[in-house]
This record gives sequence, C-alpha cells and structure tokens, in this order.
Amino acid sequence: MSATVLPLTGVATSARLESFSYDDDVVRKFLWATFIWGLVGMLVGLIIALQLANPIFNTSLEWLSFGRLRPLHTNAVIFAFAGNAFFCGAYYSTQRLLKARMFSDFLSRFHFWGWQAIIVAAAVTLPLGFTQAKEYAELEWPIDIAIAVVWVAFGVNFVGTMIRRRERHLYVALWFYIASIVTVAILHIFNNLSIPAGLFKSYSIYAGVQDAFMQWWYGHNAVAFFLTTPFLGLMYYFMPKAADGPVFSYKLSILHFWSLVFLYIWAGPHHLHYTALPEWASTVGMLFSVMLWAPSWGGMINGLLTLRGAWHKVAEDPILKFFVVAITAYGMSTFEGPLLSIKSVNALAHYTDWIIAHVHTGALGWNGFLTFGMVYWLLPRLFQTPIYSKRLMEVHFWIASFGILLYVVAIYSAGVTQGLMWRAFDTTGRLAYPDFVETVVRLLPMYWLRVVGGSMYIVGMLLFGWNILMTWRRRPATYAVPVVTAPALAKRFVPAPEFAGGAQPVGLWARFASAAWHRTWERMPIMFTVLTVVAVVVASLFEILPTFLIKSNVPTIASVKPYTPLELAGRDMYIAEGCFNCHSQMVRPFRHETERFGEYSKPGESVYEHPFLWGSRRIGPDLARVGGKYPHLWHVRHFNEPTSITARSIMPAYPHFLTKTINFEQIQSRVDAMAMLGVPYGDAVNRAPEMARAQAADIAAEIERQGGPSDLRDKQIVAIVAYMQRLGMDIKNSPTTVGAAR
Amino acid sequence: MKLSDIMGHANLSFYAEVAMVIFLIVFLTVAVRLFLPSRQQDLRDAARLPLDDEPTPAAAPRKD
Repeated sequence: MSATVLPLTGVATSARLESFSYDDDVVRKFLWATFIWGLVGMLVGLIIALQLANPIFNTSLEWLSFGRLRPLHTNAVIFAFAGNAFFCGAYYSTQRLLKARMFSDFLSRFHFWGWQAIIVAAAVTLPLGFTQAKEYAELEWPIDIAIAVVWVAFGVNFVGTMIRRRERHLYVALWFYIASIVTVAILHIFNNLSIPAGLFKSYSIYAGVQDAFMQWWYGHNAVAFFLTTPFLGLMYYFMPKAADGPVFSYKLSILHFWSLVFLYIWAGPHHLHYTALPEWASTVGMLFSVMLWAPSWGGMINGLLTLRGAWHKVAEDPILKFFVVAITAYGMSTFEGPLLSIKSVNALAHYTDWIIAHVHTGALGWNGFLTFGMVYWLLPRLFQTPIYSKRLMEVHFWIASFGILLYVVAIYSAGVTQGLMWRAFDTTGRLAYPDFVETVVRLLPMYWLRVVGGSMYIVGMLLFGWNILMTWRRRPATYAVPVVTAPALAKRFVPAPEFAGGAQPVGLWARFASAAWHRTWERMPIMFTVLTVVAVVVASLFEILPTFLIKSNVPTIASVKPYTPLELAGRDMYIAEGCFNCHSQMVRPFRHETERFGEYSKPGESVYEHPFLWGSRRIGPDLARVGGKYPHLWHVRHFNEPTSITARSIMPAYPHFLTKTINFEQIQSRVDAMAMLGVPYGDAVNRAPEMARAQAADIAAEIERQGGPSDLRDKQIVAIVAYMQRLGMDIKNSPTTVGAAR
Repeated sequence: MKLSDIMGHANLSFYAEVAMVIFLIVFLTVAVRLFLPSRQQDLRDAARLPLDDEPTPAAAPRKD
C-alpha cells in the first residue's frame, strides 16, 4: 500500500499538524449498492408498469401482484437507490469537508451492512404481504426497529466525525446532511408507532384523520428530507467540484437551507386536500407549500449559476450535463409541487397519474441524474483509474433523458385525461363516463408509452453499470491511501489579530456585526443540530397536535362501530394484498364524486381505522361506499376473475381467496391488539374466533343461496366479502345521527 | 371531562402566533447577518471549502 503525504492548503497554521487518511472503502461499497439496488428497484418499476398496461403480467403468483410489488418499487428506489447514493456521497464529502476520517470504521460498516440487510428484508417481506399500509412506511415493526438502530448508528458516526473535525466552518452541504439525518429519525419513529399483533403484523397507534395526518406529515417529509435535502447537500458539494468553481452564492445557499427547514415540515397536509382532514390544516399545508416556491427556485438558480463562466464545458462534459438536467428537474418538480398543493389544482390532480408523473420528474430527473453525475465524478477518484468510457456516459445521458421525457409526458396526459373524465357531466347533468373502467381503458396507450420510456431509462442504467464495472476492473492492485495532514482545531476560539489586544468591539450592534459570537457558535455543531430539531419539532407539534387534542376537529358519529372480528380479518387481507395502492376510501365533497360513489366521507367515520386506508391513487374506483352495492356473489366472482364481471378491468385476479382457509384463531390476537388501542370491542376480546366463524357461516350460506359455490365457510373470500360489504354501511344505517354530528 | 375538551376551551391559538413571530425573527436575523460587510470574506472562504479539501492536481485559478 503506497502512502504519500499531501498537505492541505488554506488552513490556519500555528497549531499541531495531524496526519490521517480518509475511509474510501465504505464509499466504494455504497457506490456498488447504489447501482445494484437502483437496477432492482427500476426493474420492479418496469414490472408494475407492465401490470397496469396489461393485467396478465400479474401472473398467477399471488406475491407478484401489483398491490404487493408497488410498495417494493417505491421503497427500493427511495431507500435503496437514493438512500445508498446519499450515503455514498455523504461519506465521501463529509470526511473531506471536515478534514477528518469517519469517527468509527465499525459504525460505517455497521451502517452499510445494516442498511443492505434492511433492504433485503423489505424485498422479502413486501411481496409476502407484510405491510403497515402506510406509503413509504410499509415495512413492519421489526424492520422499523432495525431502521431506527442503523439510522442512529449513522447519526452517531456523523456527529462523532463533526466533533473530531479539523475544519472550523461547517460547509453548507453538511447542514443539509445534519437536517436530513435528524429529521428522518423523528419522522420515522413517530409515524411508525404501532402495537404489534404478531411478528409481522401491527396496527398504527393512530386512527383515521390523525393517522392520515401523521402519515402525510411523514410522507411529504420523506420526499423533503430523504430525496431533497440530502441531494441538495450533494449538489452543493459535487456541483462546485465538477464545475471547478465555488457555488454561485454561498449566501443564497444559507437562505435556501433555513427556508427549507422552516417551511418543508408544514407542507404535508396538501396530500389530503378535500378529504376528511380539517380545512384549516389543509390550508396551512397549501400556504407553506406555496411559500416553498421561493427557496426551491433560489436553490435551483444557485446550482445552475455555479456554472457561470463554465457553460462551454457542459457541451463536452457528460457529468455537467447530468448535473444541469438534475438541477433543472429539481426546478421543475419544485415548481409543480406548490402548484399541485393549490386546492383547486389538487381537486383535479389528486388520485390521478399526474402525481405519478410529478414524482418521476423528481425521482428520475433530480435524484437519478444527480446520482449518475456524482458517481461518474467519483469513479476515477475511487477506483484510481481513468473512467472506462466517456462515450458510454454520453449515450447514457441521452437515452435516459429521452426516457424521462417519454415517461413523464405520457403519464401527465394520462393524469389530466383521467381527472377530466371523472368530473365530466353530459348535457343532461349526468356523469359523462359513469362506468369507471372507461376512464381506465382510455389510459392504456399512455401506460404502454410509459413502459417504453421507463425501459429506455433502464437501458441507460445498464450502460451506467457497465461503465462502473469496466472502470473497476482497471483499478490498481492495491488502492493508494493518501495520508493527509491538517492542523487540529484549537480548543477555544482565538480572535483574529485585528480584534486581539484590546480592540474588542463596543456596543450591541458592533458586537453583532463583528461576528465573533458566531465563531463561538459554529464551534458547536451539536447546538446547531439541536436548533434544527427544535425548528422541526415545534412546527410539527403546532400542525399535528390540534387534531389530537381539540375535539371539534373530529366530530364523532354515534352509528360508527368497530369492525366485527371477521371484517377485521378481511381488512387485514385488504392491507396485505395492497388494495389501497389502487383503491381510495375517501369520497371528496364534489358533485362528480358523490354522483359516482355516494355520500362524501366524514372524519368521524374513520375513528377506528388503525391504520387509515384513504389511499392516494384511484387506479380502480373508490370503495368507501361499496358496502351493500353488490350482492355477495358479485364479489366472489369478481375476486376470482375480475374480467368475468368487467370485461376490460385491469385488476389482478385473486382465485386463491376461494381456496385458502381463514386462520380463525389468529383473529383473536388481532382483535386484542385493536382493543389495546382503545377500539371498543366488548365481547369480541373473549370470543373473536367464535364470532368470526358464525358470521362466516352466514355469509357462506348467503353466497350459496345466490347460486355460488357451496364450500366457502372457512375460506378467505368470506372474510374479504364481509369487509367489502361493511364499507360505508355505518353512515347509511343512521342518517339522523350523521346530520346531528355535522 | 376529557383532555380534548380542556384543550378545546383553553384558547391556545395565540401560542402558534408567538411561535410564528419567533421563527420570523430568527429567519430575519440569519438573513440580515448574511449581508454584514464584516462577514463577506468568511463566506467567500467558506464557499471555497469543497474546492480546497483535497489535493487536486492542476486546479487552474478561475477568472470571475
């Protein structure tokens, strides 16, 4: 192993020089993981895109149906691809910005292997149907605990490195990393609080409106603090590197940081416009989202203008091309996000593919391209050999760019088409497309176009992998580990010569302006971290607590009762199959929705919904009022073979519901967990299996009377039919109480 | 009487307004400080941190 001593320039002298080296091994590990999981996540994305274009791609394997694979795709691309990319860039840049090796090599490795183990656990449990039914927080409680442990290890390692740093000033990229680390920890822990009802089953401690609020406080900030702020940190480090010049405006980057920290945390409720969420909360979410326009575009402009005087390099340097498109995509998706948060726009876009197009501009453009640019910049440095092929980088850039364009344009038009078709009335005042499937079939050409666009992006990904592999193969036999020297930081702040020797500033303003106090403050990264946490927590409390503590936010409805044990078992099946990925249970108060689905949903209806199942996308129709709409036998036939009822349906078939048996004994533990959460289950806490068997026998007899199969009394189909027939029935049973509650 | 009744009648909404004012003051302080003449050199130095953090060969000086 060769060792060269390279002094760093630009550091204050006089202090003792220390020698150290950077841990690039862990950076290389994260780089490989980024590529491998990125490819896996995108291939799963391709499968589910095919499943929407034609349901035969659901195959007959129950664990590969759309509802189970869609969470796998989202989790893989967010936490595995983007997560590993963030760690890769953060471990590289943090050590160099702080002039210190990571605090603990053990913690770095623990973080790496722990994170990969979590991804594998997700890839196994999600197709098996173990899910909490909360978007981007689907993983069940044992994995959630593992995530918290690994994340804390990462945090300790990071803070430890900051404490041992040899560079006084914390560069702005590090601020973005710190905010991401602490906020993700808070979000993850509070959204995932749940009561276990078995090794891989739990119920959220929150219910209905409160659960929805927590989930989208988490969900939106998962986008903000997992896909935005970490990548902005990477941008502020790697963009100046690639452009070979400092960021356009460091002042702007500081304003960018503080505005995002103050504003982002409030934006979550815009995911719940026109739902049963209290209107004040929805308005707050919208206002803060609109305010985000300013810092987001400030950040985008700051990133792009870092290229000032270097624009000519963009034409010849594919790395800069990737960065320019990434930052432009950041600008586009942060323009669109606030736009979508405006209630009247959201009324059209919510539940449609518009949202899917929006997130893919961000994910494929911003996260993907920033990752590609960063990895290409890192390759020659990490593998200590020139990159294998610049030409392949160019091809990757162009094919992926056109892939994004095809994907996004097709899915935008799908979203707007479906949104407009849902709300269309004919001249007689009736719904122009009363049959929901009409609004689905119209989208299929666009879904095929998405398959083409997505495939192009994946081809680009393969070229990316080939380039990494071939560069890696040319690596030296042993990596050189340069020994770096830098002076240790003094324990106390020593004022600069002009302030030393009695020339201390006099007066309040002079002291403020001298910034000497700031030098004391910036010695305290822990203080900075704590202040960031305070900003995030205070904002969260003000937004979330009122729904928990102020009664008028959730008016109760007397006729709303808990699910029976059998219905609860059916609901657990609905969760396990991921039905909520395609079906909402939330009718918004619009005439076109009440005409199509029935009475709009009220907050008091979901007080026993642990977790809430309002959904965020309508690939199929809303189910909030489906109870009693069709006979039992209709559901049996429909689950067995959806196309036998609706010829052009794209829903997967669930024939195994008719052959697999219900685990009646297990229902008791589920009911007990619910009772522990305060759901008034009464007698069912003692005899849930017995009650479930009795109701199952009744439903099976009714199915037989309607001319259906005769041997269903212990089959799963009975439980899911019981659940379907219960949906929305409480409010139909007692219209007078509903009126009073309003 | 449940906790939610007590909270509902406590008229705590001014807490949110106080918090907003505090947040605004903090943000304005950050913003004003950024433009102090005495800090400009520090900020310029800070902006160069990513460029000075490792011995890159042939980093030609930029003309801005």
